[in-house]
Amino acid sequence: MTARTRKRLYQTVGACFTAAAFLSVYTPIAVILALSVNDSLKAYAWEGFTLRWYADLFATDVMHDPIMNTLLVAILATLIATVLGTFFAIGIHALDKTRRTRMMVLNNVPVVNPEIVTGISLLIVFSLLGFTLGFHTVLIAHVFFGVPYVVLSVMPRLKKLDPNLYEAALDLGCTRFSAVLRAIVPNVATGILAGALMAFTMSIDDFVITYFTSGSEYMNVSTWLYAAIGRSRSFTPAAYAYNAIIFLFTIAAIIFINSRKEKKEREVRR
Amino acid sequence: MAKTLITLSGIEKSFDGVKVLSDFNLSIDENEFITLLGPSGCGKTTCLRIIGGFETPDAGTVAIDGRIVNDLEPNQRQINTCFQRYALFPHLDVFENVAFGLRIRKVEKAEIVRRVEETLRLVKLEGYGPRAVSTLSGGQQQRVAIARAIVNRPKVLLLDEPLGALDLKLRQEMQYELKEMQRTLGITFVYVTHDQEEALTMSDKIVVMNQGRILQVGTPEDVYNEPKNRFVANFIGESNIFEGVMREDYLVSFCGREFKCVDRGFAADEPVDVVIRPEDFDFVPPSKAKIVGVVDSLVFRGVHYEINVIVEGREYTIHTTKTRSIGDRVGLAVDPSLIHVMKRDVHA
Amino acid sequence: MRRLRRYAIPFVAWMAVFIVVPTLILLFLSFSDYSLYDGGPFAFTFARFEIFAAPLVLTAIGNSVALAGATTAACFLIGYPVALYLSHLPEKTGKILMSLLIVPLWSNMLLRIVAWEKVFTPDSFFTDLTGLSIDLLGSKTAILVGMVAMYLPFMVFPIYSVLEKLDRGLVEAARDLGADDAQVFLRVIFPLSAGGVLSGVIMTLLPALTSFVLPARLGLGRVPLIGNVIESKLMKEVLGSSGRSINEGALVSLSLMVLSIVLYILATRFDREGETLL
Repeated sequence: MTARTRKRLYQTVGACFTAAAFLSVYTPIAVILALSVNDSLKAYAWEGFTLRWYADLFATDVMHDPIMNTLLVAILATLIATVLGTFFAIGIHALDKTRRTRMMVLNNVPVVNPEIVTGISLLIVFSLLGFTLGFHTVLIAHVFFGVPYVVLSVMPRLKKLDPNLYEAALDLGCTRFSAVLRAIVPNVATGILAGALMAFTMSIDDFVITYFTSGSEYMNVSTWLYAAIGRSRSFTPAAYAYNAIIFLFTIAAIIFINSRKEKKEREVRR
Repeated sequence: MAKTLITLSGIEKSFDGVKVLSDFNLSIDENEFITLLGPSGCGKTTCLRIIGGFETPDAGTVAIDGRIVNDLEPNQRQINTCFQRYALFPHLDVFENVAFGLRIRKVEKAEIVRRVEETLRLVKLEGYGPRAVSTLSGGQQQRVAIARAIVNRPKVLLLDEPLGALDLKLRQEMQYELKEMQRTLGITFVYVTHDQEEALTMSDKIVVMNQGRILQVGTPEDVYNEPKNRFVANFIGESNIFEGVMREDYLVSFCGREFKCVDRGFAADEPVDVVIRPEDFDFVPPSKAKIVGVVDSLVFRGVHYEINVIVEGREYTIHTTKTRSIGDRVGLAVDPSLIHVMKRDVHA
Repeated sequence: MRRLRRYAIPFVAWMAVFIVVPTLILLFLSFSDYSLYDGGPFAFTFARFEIFAAPLVLTAIGNSVALAGATTAACFLIGYPVALYLSHLPEKTGKILMSLLIVPLWSNMLLRIVAWEKVFTPDSFFTDLTGLSIDLLGSKTAILVGMVAMYLPFMVFPIYSVLEKLDRGLVEAARDLGADDAQVFLRVIFPLSAGGVLSGVIMTLLPALTSFVLPARLGLGRVPLIGNVIESKLMKEVLGSSGRSINEGALVSLSLMVLSIVLYILATRFDREGETLL
């Protein structure tokens, strides 16, 4: 077999695997998109095209509370986790190597821990502290599992920085705190943004940890869905519409980010 | 007599139990170009960082203008630093990098523009203001770093191996420019380097350091011609160092022979180290020479040849413009004034 | 820089409250008969370990290990070639395809499970659309397919990030030294991507091992997994019943935690600060 035919063989095999991967990952998405325009409440069969679930989503208030709860917690948790995570990362980065490695192991425990274990751990802490489960405990829980992602994505940026940047700012007259804000933060901004995005997506899609820390009254979209498909009476296909909107939104965001990056690259080349 | 600007007295500093500076005393004059010279890990950068306020000494005092500043933050000292890898702010353009210190001190806008442009002109970067720092060459970034420091009109500029990342040619150019800048600005420069040539070219005063201690302080001529001990002699320039004995004033014995010299003030028969620079040997006919040997190797070095001569099993290094062939028998002579006798190095 | 270290102090406190303290409590509950809600006297005991002998729990562990193991193996066997293929594409195309593979994770997990339910139901809505009638609901195959589809991107991404950064010069050097394709892969590419593989295994194996909604829905509750045991011990029984099940749930969670930390420490041998976890 010549080198060229071998190469072609590898490429074909790789492309087939990739196609299979996309098929398996996108099948449920396609089904959700189809369900969101299926004119049937129970969806046992395809009963024609409709947009009424989308209209329902905005008109009726079935899902209003869970959606609002989800968005509010996601936004607040992301903001808090981003600020905390950024400062934690800066602190950890300043440590000597052995202690930094130890801190990073600690940081990654919630990342590798099964969500169910994290959920139980948080539940234990909250019940010990005597907190009533609800909005506040869910918020704290989401901040908690958001922080490690921020730390993880800020850390590599910090490592790439000139180690004297902070001191240069002090040297030029900044106070300790303003030196952090003026010299370090702007230069790890992409890492902070990436971390915030991670924290946000983790929060908006979280089921397990919210399930354990929300109590019986407070619900986000996922826990509401869990209850709804369990009972199946209160379930509405508007949930599919909600998911379809989120999906299309993320696709649009990716296209937007990529096109902006390309535009920037073209400008730099010029 | 120049006015003393910075006084370090009795400084001690350890990191994780390792002593980096011990009993460190140094005074720096106004308008002086002083260089801390030593191998890496000798404590020179730590010393600089203590002056800059980035480290606090474990013991001892730092005084600037007679005022003790041990606890003063870096931003409260009239000192600026030019960092090893420049530490330019990647998120700001050249102009904003230079303007940084002025903005922090809330200098008036028009004044900022005037001073930044003036400084950029001084470092020959006129018109580079809107450029991103990442698009500049190493030498240009170096200039921005200097501009960013001197635009604040500090009393002292600390430079930590600022030319380390540049290639040889550029480094030599920058050496002259830095020296020139120091003269015109009238700022005290405290310069850290491990490159002895750099130190010799630019400095008014060189502080040779090793293992957290000062070994010698003096003008470049002093430390080159009159090294105080074996380490200094070895570190600055190339040297042939012999163990010898001072017979009496003006007479030293080494390698089994006695030589006239110009040194005195040693005890009779005191063990000493003798330094002869490679360029100070002359070839003479073997019949007339005290030292006779055989050429072992010869390397052309541009300006001169480096010739190794084996004399009684010991290697002598000689720099000369004359050439010899390997295997030649040669005689060596040295002028008494070029034999330098030092106290035996206690640390070695 | 040294001065910035104090920003790490609140981090330690924060982590101590939310990780160290609950872990200690889980430890305590696992080895004692203390009742978390009723308080009172307690004694240390190994009696909780009996739970691992209960037939239901044994079945659950067996099912979990088998299914999570199969899921991880399948994800690796599919995911590695995909990562390799993507890393060989032009950088921009590779990155876009990679992010497209991740986008579905933004979709709600429960809805994706519901979607699989529709797919695996014969004569369903899915049949109307595609003509395919699949009857898998309630089988292990259904759970396996659902899990692979759910966790595959977590395997591909870390491997892709490592392969994408791999120095092409190394491959050329290996070829120059006489290695053929198989040798280049086995001796150079694969060892260098081992850290990514381990991260991928952790990110796939642990969630698969502990998932409880997916097996409950796609397996119709016929195939219990560890996650279902923990959920029932801690969430369902707790609400009405004896404190004993809390202690048992604690022991099971603790065991999972130990497993995940061991796996993670194994991974840190390749990647000290866990950067490939992202």
